[in-house]
Amino acid sequence: MPSSTTLNAESRRSFLRRNLFSTDHKMIGRQYFFLSLAAVLVGAWLSLLMRIHLVWPHAAIPFLGEIKPENYLAHLTMHGTLMVFFVLSTVPQAGFGTFFLPLQLGTQNMAFPRLSAAGFWTALTSFLVLMAAFVVPGGASGAGWTQYPPLSALASAGPGQGLGTDLWLLSIGLFCLSSLMSAVGFVATTVRHRAPGMTWMRMPLTCWSWFVTSILILLAFGILLAAVILLMLDRHAGTSFFLPGGLLISGKAIANSGGSPLLWQHLFWFFGHPEVYIAILPAMGVTSHLLSVFARKPVFGYKAMVGATLAIGALGFMVWGHHMFVSGMNPYAGFAFSTLTTAIAVPSAIKTFNWVATLYGGRIRYATPLLFSAGFVSLFITGGLTGPILAQPALDTYLHDTYFVVAHFHLIMAMAGLFAVFSATYFWFPRMFGRMMNERLGRLHFWITLFGAYAIFVPMHLLGIAGHPRRYSDLSGVQYVAAMAPLQKFITLAAIVTIAGQLIFLVNLFWSMRRGPAAETNPWECGTLEWTPASYATNEGPGEWRPQVNHGPYEYNVPGVEQDFIMQDAPAS
Amino acid sequence: MPIISDRVEIERKPKLGGGGPGKIPHRRGFGGGDDGDRGRPEDFRSRNQRMRRYRIGMAVCLVSVTVVFVALTFLYVFRLGKGRYDEDAHQWVRDWIALKLPYLQLWANSLVLLLSSATLELARRAMEKKEEFAAMGIVPPRMRRDLPWLAITLLLGFGFLAGQIIVWNSLRHQGAYLVSNPSRSYFYLLTGTHAVHLAGGLLALLVAAGGRLFALKFESQKIAVEVTSWYWHYLAFLWFGIFALVHFAGS
Amino acid sequence: MSVALRLALLFVVVGCVYLFLAQPYWFPAGASSQSGLIDHQFRIALWVFGALFVVGHLILIFVLSKKSHADRAASRGSWRLEVTWTLAITVIFFWFNISADHLWSSMMPPKKLGGQIDVEVTGAQFQWYFRYPGADGIFGRTDAQKFARPDEGNPLGIDPSDPAGRDDIFATAMIVPVGHPVQLHLRAQDVVHSLFIPAMRFKQDTVPGMEILSHFTPTKIGVYEIACAELCGIGHYRMRAVVRVVSEEEFEKWIKAQEAAAASH
Repeated sequence: MPSSTTLNAESRRSFLRRNLFSTDHKMIGRQYFFLSLAAVLVGAWLSLLMRIHLVWPHAAIPFLGEIKPENYLAHLTMHGTLMVFFVLSTVPQAGFGTFFLPLQLGTQNMAFPRLSAAGFWTALTSFLVLMAAFVVPGGASGAGWTQYPPLSALASAGPGQGLGTDLWLLSIGLFCLSSLMSAVGFVATTVRHRAPGMTWMRMPLTCWSWFVTSILILLAFGILLAAVILLMLDRHAGTSFFLPGGLLISGKAIANSGGSPLLWQHLFWFFGHPEVYIAILPAMGVTSHLLSVFARKPVFGYKAMVGATLAIGALGFMVWGHHMFVSGMNPYAGFAFSTLTTAIAVPSAIKTFNWVATLYGGRIRYATPLLFSAGFVSLFITGGLTGPILAQPALDTYLHDTYFVVAHFHLIMAMAGLFAVFSATYFWFPRMFGRMMNERLGRLHFWITLFGAYAIFVPMHLLGIAGHPRRYSDLSGVQYVAAMAPLQKFITLAAIVTIAGQLIFLVNLFWSMRRGPAAETNPWECGTLEWTPASYATNEGPGEWRPQVNHGPYEYNVPGVEQDFIMQDAPAS
Repeated sequence: MPIISDRVEIERKPKLGGGGPGKIPHRRGFGGGDDGDRGRPEDFRSRNQRMRRYRIGMAVCLVSVTVVFVALTFLYVFRLGKGRYDEDAHQWVRDWIALKLPYLQLWANSLVLLLSSATLELARRAMEKKEEFAAMGIVPPRMRRDLPWLAITLLLGFGFLAGQIIVWNSLRHQGAYLVSNPSRSYFYLLTGTHAVHLAGGLLALLVAAGGRLFALKFESQKIAVEVTSWYWHYLAFLWFGIFALVHFAGS
Repeated sequence: MSVALRLALLFVVVGCVYLFLAQPYWFPAGASSQSGLIDHQFRIALWVFGALFVVGHLILIFVLSKKSHADRAASRGSWRLEVTWTLAITVIFFWFNISADHLWSSMMPPKKLGGQIDVEVTGAQFQWYFRYPGADGIFGRTDAQKFARPDEGNPLGIDPSDPAGRDDIFATAMIVPVGHPVQLHLRAQDVVHSLFIPAMRFKQDTVPGMEILSHFTPTKIGVYEIACAELCGIGHYRMRAVVRVVSEEEFEKWIKAQEAAAASH
């Protein structure tokens, strides 16, 4: 049976040509997948070190020794950077997207294969540059993934603010270029290369989300690139975009003057807020898709889902000020940003209703991908509902920069987003590797991660409510913070168990890649084009697959049809 | 053999569930696949397909570039108007020192850029005419005497960059450095970013002009020149925008 | 599997609700005029969004059933339902958001508050400095780069030639009388810090190059901790200070003593 493990034209090329110079979108998608896997392993390890240090500050980690405050801040910064950029902005979009967008649209490759490949190699370079920051004198940057100047602009402001920050900036600059390259290909492919009969309204919702996300990338990452360049100029060329006059650090006077630290915040968050939608929209698309497949029901309100996706994309550019209510920004602007942020909660709620309605009345198949998708909905509700609370400046005044915010974005980005990545992995694994992952291990992984996510991040809200500021490397500095050590300990223990539980996923992943049971062509009985037998022929090379699309992507349980689903390229009846 | 229906029956009832089975509303741009090819789906690698996707790719790039320059313009105007906050005086203080622009040089550069846009357009049209014959491998005699418009564009492009360097040098001679004042920082930033983007376009044109050196088919050269010409004209338009901004606002 | 998943989600809902009702860690006791209002608003938030959390999950649990219904299985959507629940959620969200706007307005700095105490707060790596304008009510000019001498008791760099600065009172703790609005002049010397007084429900970033005005009115005598709430370097976790809210008489006594000490220099 056709699978990607059969010997074919691709694999007869040399190892180098297949891996180093491959322009096959499936290979590039896999490469992104493994890059994100490496990043998430490092990021999770860093978070483990952070949690352990908070609760046992003098614990000696094997090979690393005791963790010092500057190390903690470096871990914090790199954890955030890796997770937001190299995991959540990479695998759901460039990873699964590059692999599956052409397949789901019914075309044989991305519009610009060499550009896609260049995008990956730039992303890999960016990752290596970032990792290099750990080993340079001064260590990695300790200014948080948000890198607010003047802290990030002055090498004298702290260890890690020298070469470590330069490497961070270089890495992120490269990452911007990588994302832009990838996004150009996505838009061109979606606009130009849908199969005959694949109208916009017949695209799977995953393709819609990749498309809208690409537009967000094209509009947002240029701003980040500009901001990074301005910060580099401030650091090395003596300009003062972000540096005001009169600064005195460690007894040294800083010569720059005339700039505004708030300018960085505006630029960064003008990028940063669309960035979180870049992270979550593909996850939402995958969830919509999988809930439909596993409930054996069409997506409830397909057009409303498309509209909601577009609305979230558009509104995402208008709400950046809600990160800056207490920053010194004009407080009247707070009203505007607050109202717009509340507005963006509405399409998110619409999507949630539609997910639930998709499940309603369906003959649900409880496989691992469905479990994680249901988990996504649950975590999205939990994490999402604290958003409108934070959107109110009167409340955000207290909650800003406390663990309440940390709990909010971890639940919605890290946990919900990650659940979507997990469900996509379990779902698409057979298509990517030709084998099935182990179902029992998958379920065990789900249970540990679901309970773990809630055990870690819901109690964290209480820390924030009690006033525990974030980014504290030690609890002993402020008395009322020290009093919260018991809850921090509970969270750390939950984190240790949850992260350990991810080993089950890793074992399952790698073992199944080698020894998993061979998969059928369409193990989940899904109607979209990546599961058609003919699509496997693209392994043989370009030009071999020309589907004609006659049906929508979610034709499940269609009345009057005997089979409980219709493939998109089945003949029109 | 895939058959595309010409039925123009379009579903008017707002169907929430999206495109379902059966009807294909085959309007241009919405039907998927090869719109406008009227029933003959073309190969991924055909000239038309390639041309269209490179055009879309360039359009998309231009959107991204626009966002960056719009943002820089906002920064420029905001910094000019608001100034910086003086903690002692407890108020915003405008500290923008107007730039004395070397207008002669700037107008000369603008002329060079405009000319290069014109020559690039001529190059593109010449290539379009040649295309029919290129596939057959012949160059008709009347085209052999054409000026090498692409080479001239390259020269003019490099000339513009050289002219910008002269502008920057003359500003430095009057003491206007990158760090002297925000008016200088933003001037160098805007013109520098523009120059970097132009250099990228020059690189693309160099590769296109190299042609056989880089193992490019004539068709690829033509596509490269066409989409780069969009980019080039855009940058020329942007240049005049920047010129107008620094003239009316900043000097 | 359906049963297990439903039970698990139910357990999660019950656990979260219990946690938020039991409140093992909660807001510190409020001590300012705005803390009551903010706490009240937060209580509304908890009930509204808590209810949405519970209802949302109960619906999710409900739909994760084993049974299926043929007619519902064919449903592709319903405009009526979409409009209904969109309107409902819009009303709830916007009502909540707008209902607290007056609170935000009241927190914005007015120009002059009656009977106010002016305190200038400067954040520097890694401590808080407080300054009172003294009898003349004017803060002296500072230039940290030129005049700052931390070891000589002038970390703010008060200009010695400025007469308005001669009577300024410098302290490393904030001391204020109960019942009087405190007008804060927030500044920073090196990087962005943030003055966070949980008991007063007060937070405002201090940005170098800017002087930001904000205020709170303490209503209870006591000692309250200040923490820094914006990452400012390796000492961020120990950038601590206190606010001592004392009676009016004690405050007067303290001010007089400080002015006398300053005059004797």
